[in-house]
Amino acid sequence: MATGLAEILDNFVKSHDDRQLLALPLAILAVSLVILLVSFVSTGSPVNLGMDFQGGTQISIETANSPAVLEKMYSSYPITDVRQTGSRVIMQFGVMDNKQQSQLEKDVMGNYSNVQIQQVGPTYGKDLQVQAMQALGISFIGMGIVVFLLFRTFVPSFAVILSAFSDIVIAAAFMRVAGVELSLGTLAALLMLIGYSVDSDILLTNRVIKRRGTVEEKVSRAMHTGITMTTTTLAALASMYIISTFSYLVIPSFTQITLLSQISIVLIAGLFADIMNTWLLNTGILRWYAMKPEFRGRYNR
Amino acid sequence: MSDKKSLLKNPRVIIFIILLLGSIVAIHPGYTPGKGTTSNLNFGLDLEGGSWLQIKLEGALAQIDVDSGKLVSGIVEPIIGAPIEITKNDLDAGGSANKSITFTTSASVSASQLEYLGTVSVDKLSGNTTQVTISDTSKESLIQAYLSKALDAEVVIPEKSTQDGIVYEIRTAVTEEQLEALLEKVGGSIHKNEDGTSTYKEGVSTETRDLTKSILSDKLNSLGLKDIPVRTVGDEYILIDFAGIDLATAKEIAEKPGKFEIRIQTTGNETEHVLYGDSIETVGIPSFHDEQWHTSFTLDDKGARTLQKIALETGAIDNPDSHYLKMYLDGVEIYGAPLSESAAEKLREGPIYSWEASTGSDEAAKAEATALQVHLRAGALPVNVQLVGSGHVDAGLGAQFKTAAMVAGLISLVGVAAVVYFKYRRPEILIPMVGTSTSEVIMILGVAAVIGWQLDLASIAGIIASIGTGIDHLVIITDEVLYEGKLPPTRVFKSRIGKAFTIILGAASTNIIALSPLVVMGFGSLKGFAITTIIGVFIGVIFARPVYGVVIKELLHVDEIGNGSVTE
Repeated sequence: MATGLAEILDNFVKSHDDRQLLALPLAILAVSLVILLVSFVSTGSPVNLGMDFQGGTQISIETANSPAVLEKMYSSYPITDVRQTGSRVIMQFGVMDNKQQSQLEKDVMGNYSNVQIQQVGPTYGKDLQVQAMQALGISFIGMGIVVFLLFRTFVPSFAVILSAFSDIVIAAAFMRVAGVELSLGTLAALLMLIGYSVDSDILLTNRVIKRRGTVEEKVSRAMHTGITMTTTTLAALASMYIISTFSYLVIPSFTQITLLSQISIVLIAGLFADIMNTWLLNTGILRWYAMKPEFRGRYNR
Repeated sequence: MSDKKSLLKNPRVIIFIILLLGSIVAIHPGYTPGKGTTSNLNFGLDLEGGSWLQIKLEGALAQIDVDSGKLVSGIVEPIIGAPIEITKNDLDAGGSANKSITFTTSASVSASQLEYLGTVSVDKLSGNTTQVTISDTSKESLIQAYLSKALDAEVVIPEKSTQDGIVYEIRTAVTEEQLEALLEKVGGSIHKNEDGTSTYKEGVSTETRDLTKSILSDKLNSLGLKDIPVRTVGDEYILIDFAGIDLATAKEIAEKPGKFEIRIQTTGNETEHVLYGDSIETVGIPSFHDEQWHTSFTLDDKGARTLQKIALETGAIDNPDSHYLKMYLDGVEIYGAPLSESAAEKLREGPIYSWEASTGSDEAAKAEATALQVHLRAGALPVNVQLVGSGHVDAGLGAQFKTAAMVAGLISLVGVAAVVYFKYRRPEILIPMVGTSTSEVIMILGVAAVIGWQLDLASIAGIIASIGTGIDHLVIITDEVLYEGKLPPTRVFKSRIGKAFTIILGAASTNIIALSPLVVMGFGSLKGFAITTIIGVFIGVIFARPVYGVVIKELLHVDEIGNGSVTE
C-alpha cells in the first residue's frame, strides 16, 4: 500500500504544475476554516467542548439495562446523554451541587459494578479552556521557531508552517463534523499533530534545499520515504483505534477506552490531511521556490 | 562472524545493550503462580482502580495602598458611629511593630469594641471628648484586621512578600471588585504595578499551598493511609490519589477533620479535658521572637473561658510547672509546656484569647513550630477549598483497561512491522527495525520503573505514539543509507547517517517542543502522556537510533557480500 500510494502521488505531482498542486489542499483548508468559523459564530466555540472543558459528570457502568431505562431511573439528576457500547452504558450529567453529586455516586456504586466516574467542576473547565488555547498557541509558535532555525530561509519555512497549520485546522474541522468532542485527550492529539506533522515536511525541505540532484528526483525520493513514515504511524494508530474502540465486539469482556480511541482518531484524521498537505501544498510551494529563475538552478542540479 | 565481533566493540552498541539490560532489571518482570505476572512498574489509578480528588484553593493576593489616617477613620467611625480626629499617628514611621495612633471623638468608646486592632486605652478628656490610643499595632496589622473582619477570613502576609512591597494574602474567595470596594470604604485601593497592571491575583501563596498540602498529607497518614500522594498542580490546585479507595470514602476522608484536644495535667500523669479543636479560631504562621520559635493561635470565647476556669481549678495558675498544658491530635500527644508566668498572672484577671506556643530556639524548634501550626488546625485547611474534579475507576475495570491497552500496544507494533515488511520485503531490515522499536519501549518502561513514574492510560497512548515516531526515524535512516538502492562505501555511509540525523533531530525537536506545554501546564492527566512521549523521543534519538544505523550497516554488508546484489 505504501509503495502504491507513493507511486500514484508521485505521478500526480509530476504531471501537474505548482498551481494545480495547491488547489486541492487550499480548497480543503478553506472549507475547514469555514466549518470552524460557522461553528464559532453559532456556538461560541470552533469545536464541541467536551466535559473536561465544560464541567459535568460522566459515569460509565456495566449493566444489562437499556439506556432508556437508565435515563428514566436517573431522571431526577441533570442527565444529558446516555450511550451504550457493548455491555457498558455511559451516562453524562450536567453540573450538580456536592450533595447531589455524592448521592448519585453512592447510588451508582451501590448498584453497579465496574464503575468509572469522572467529574469536572465548571470553574476548572473554564480555566482549562484558557490553558488549552495557550498550550496550542505556545506549541505552534515553538514549532515555528524550530522550523525557522532549521532552514533559515523564509519561503521553505513558511511552507512547512502553513502545512502544519492546515493539518491542525483540518483535524479540528474533522472533529467538528464527526462529532468528536474536545477533551484533554483530543487536545493532546492536536498538540502531538503539531509535532508529528512537520516530520515529513522537514524531510522534504531538507532533501530539496540541502541536497544535490534535480528537484523532481529529490521530491520523488522524499515522497517514497515520507509516505512509508506516515503509513507506519497510521498503522500504529489504526491498531490503537481498533483495539480501543471495537475490541469489545470480539471479546465481550473488553471495554471501550475512550481516551485512546479519541487520541487515535484525531491523529489519524490529521495524518491523512498531512499526506495531502506535505505532498501537494508544501511540495507545490517548495518546487515553485526551488525552480525560481533567480536561483539559476541552484537547487536543481 | 567478524561482523558480530566488531558490532560488540562499538561503544554505542555497548551502551545500548547495558541500558537495555538495565531497563529489564529495573522493570523486573516476573511470574508468580496464582498471582500472575508481576513487575516493578507502577500503574496509575485508571489502570489499578481507585479514586482521585482535585481541589482548588480559594484566595487572593494583592498589594494595598492606603493612607494610615484614613484607614483608622474608615475602620473606627462606623463602629463607634461618630467622626474621629486623629491627634497623633506614628504608623507610617519606620520599623515594623509596636506603633500607635491616637484620636479623639465625641462618642463614648469601649475598649472591647476596638480590641481586635491592638492594645486599646480609652481616656475621658472632658464631658464630650474621648481620647483613644491604639498601640502595639502597625499599618499592616490594621489592614489585616480590617480585611479579616470584613471578609470573615484570615488575612496573612506571606513570608517572601516583603521584597517589592507587602503582599496580603486573603484566604477566601474574593473578587478584585469586592476587594476594591472594601478598600474604597477606608480610602484605599489595590496597588498598581509600574506598568499599570493590578497586583491583584487570584490564588494563594506557595507557602499556603504547601501548608494545605502538608495538612492533607498529615491527616491521611494519621488515618493510617500511607503512600497517598498529594500533589500540587500550579499554585491553585491540589491533586490527591486514593489507590484502591472508592470515591465516596475518599471524599469522606478528605472532608473529615482530625480530632484535636487540649488537656491540662492535674496530678501526676492524670490530665483533664479543656477544649477541642473547634474552639481554635485562627492559627498564625510560626514566628521567631524573644529568642524562641512561636506558633500563635486564638481561642473563641467559650474556649478561652473554659481554659481560664480549669487553670484556676487545677491550680495551674499558682504552680504552672506541675500542670502542663498538653495538646493531642487523634489521641497522640504532640505538644506539652507549662503556662508562662505572665500568662498565669493574666489568667487571674480574665480569659486570654490570643496564645502562643513556644518550642525553643534551634532549627528543630522551627520545624516543631511548623508542625504545630499544622496540628493546631487539626485537619481544618487554612483556606476554603472547592472540589473541582474527581474520578473513580473500579479495580476490575482498571484491569480490563490495562489488558486492552497492552494488547493495543502489541498490535500496534505488529501493524507497524507489517507495513515495514510490505515496503522493504527484507528481514534484515525488518528485524533490526522492530528490535530497535521494541527496545525503545523497554527502555521507556525502564525509566518509568526507575523514577517511579505512574503509568496511566495517557502514558500508554504516549508509548504507542513513540513507537510511531521511532519507526518514522528508522525509515529515514534506512532510506538515506540505501539512497541508490544498495549499501554505499563506508565514507559515504557516514555522511548519509549524518544527513539522516539532521532530519531526525529537527523532527525530534519539534515533537518535544510541541508537547512541552503539557508538561508545564496544569492538565493533571496529560502530563504522563507528554512526559512519556518526550522520554521516548530522547531515548530514541540519543541511544537507540544511532545503534540501528550501525547494526543495519553490518547486516546489509553481510547480505551484500552474500547475495552479490540488492534489489528493491
